[in-house]
Amino acid sequence: MLMAVRNQIKVIFLSIKYALMRELLNKTTFLSNVIFMVLNNSSMIIQWLILFSIRDNFGDYGLKQVILLIGLSSSIYGFAHFFFEKSFKLSETINTGKLDAYIVQPKNILLSTITSDIQVSALGDLLFGLIVYLFYGFSFPSFILYYIFTMTGGLILVCISVIFHSLSFWFNNADLGADTINNMMINVSTYPDSIFKGAVKWLLFTIIPVGIANYIPVKIITSFNPYLFIINISVCLLFIVITFIIFYKGLRRYSSSNLMSARI
Amino acid sequence: MKKYLFIIKTEIMSNLQYIFNVIFGYVGYFILLFILFNLWKYLYSDPNELINGYSMSQMMWYVVITEILWMALGGKKLNTKICNDVKSGNITYNINKPYSYIGYSLSTHLGDILVKGVVYFLLGMLTGLIFLGKFPSLNIIQVIVVIITMFLATIISILIIMALSLVAFFIEDATPFYWVYSKLILILGTIFPIEYFPVIFQKILNFSPIYVVSYGPAKLFVDFSWKSAVVIIIAQIIYIFIAYIICQIIYKKGVKRINVNGG
Repeated sequence: MLMAVRNQIKVIFLSIKYALMRELLNKTTFLSNVIFMVLNNSSMIIQWLILFSIRDNFGDYGLKQVILLIGLSSSIYGFAHFFFEKSFKLSETINTGKLDAYIVQPKNILLSTITSDIQVSALGDLLFGLIVYLFYGFSFPSFILYYIFTMTGGLILVCISVIFHSLSFWFNNADLGADTINNMMINVSTYPDSIFKGAVKWLLFTIIPVGIANYIPVKIITSFNPYLFIINISVCLLFIVITFIIFYKGLRRYSSSNLMSARI
Repeated sequence: MKKYLFIIKTEIMSNLQYIFNVIFGYVGYFILLFILFNLWKYLYSDPNELINGYSMSQMMWYVVITEILWMALGGKKLNTKICNDVKSGNITYNINKPYSYIGYSLSTHLGDILVKGVVYFLLGMLTGLIFLGKFPSLNIIQVIVVIITMFLATIISILIIMALSLVAFFIEDATPFYWVYSKLILILGTIFPIEYFPVIFQKILNFSPIYVVSYGPAKLFVDFSWKSAVVIIIAQIIYIFIAYIICQIIYKKGVKRINVNGG
């Protein structure tokens, strides 16, 4: 069992390594993607500087906490899109019958599929997240927490995407719903939860778990709370289990298109 | 001109077949609008309070219009298409056709987004009405003028994105330029009106594309004046002319660099 997990992780990293090498063939494009993404994300800071010139705080959030939230959201997005880019295009893979190439491999089908591609600009998001974190203020415990939450948040984002894209096994146009949910997660995550009230706030901590992936981590980093930490980790694990169940249930309905393709 | 109108008509007919996708796409627009409504509601402790000359209702209607302009534009799709045309060499199929690539791309994309734009406009108005209870005080002719400025703003946006995308002739992937442009429009033109920025910066923004592609039409909608309308429309016509010339220059310089292997 342990050996199988080790092999799977090795394959995932090899897949990412080769995808990265492919992207590095054109260094100018690679660098411009990363640098411009950092610049692109920096504009969010300008937005919040303007908003804070109108009001001193947004509930529990001062400028420092909002900047931490933006950095963490960027890191989460970067982690999810760099390591699991295909999870955001899963419907296309299912609908065009391209899962065949992964089914025949003696490895975990879901993991092999979603780690088969990378998004170079996501490195810019990760870099921006690191810069923002350093600006927030470095301390060893908060640094560790920041990257634990980058991973848990990233995995929750990936799980939500896989769950909704897996509906393609049952319905046409499931990608529209999946893209909408993914965009919603990203858009909401850069605004503090204090601006939302009532049912919407409840939704953000349950069905659309931006609260678990982004808001709770900011609260923990600013003031450590073991219960919230356990909630974050548990919800992440729960989402992973649900994702695997739904994907493999759907996979039973998958039929090959006999598409001949080579993965280069 | 007739051939371009025909292309627009064909694209509109094609898009009408997928009207459900357009309506579903509105959900994304609605979510963004909902977030911004919450944000402004939080910022205005008193709805009658004025922040930088805008009441809460004016700010929200401003956002409704700028978001319609941005979300219906489909800039990412246009950018991806042109970059792919250049990278894959598909652009060569257009060289020997009896139309200009710029005109063809402009009319294709315009036709592609017109249905979306109309649907977003109608649903955006309905959403604003539900959230805010009443429209800004405009008569029918003023509404038509606002719609004309929105249409011209869309043409300028398409031309600017085309110019940025055509840079792919020189650096292979021009997508990063689009990201930065889109974020600039989002922050400097969509979420905040120009009045929210320092005075020196306002002067620069008044001459920038932001004035003609988002601020102008939205400002007219929330605070209409005939003088502003004339200034905005004249500025938009000048911008269309300049953006078109820039597109042509980049295209003509870039197309000389094409090297296609047969197949």
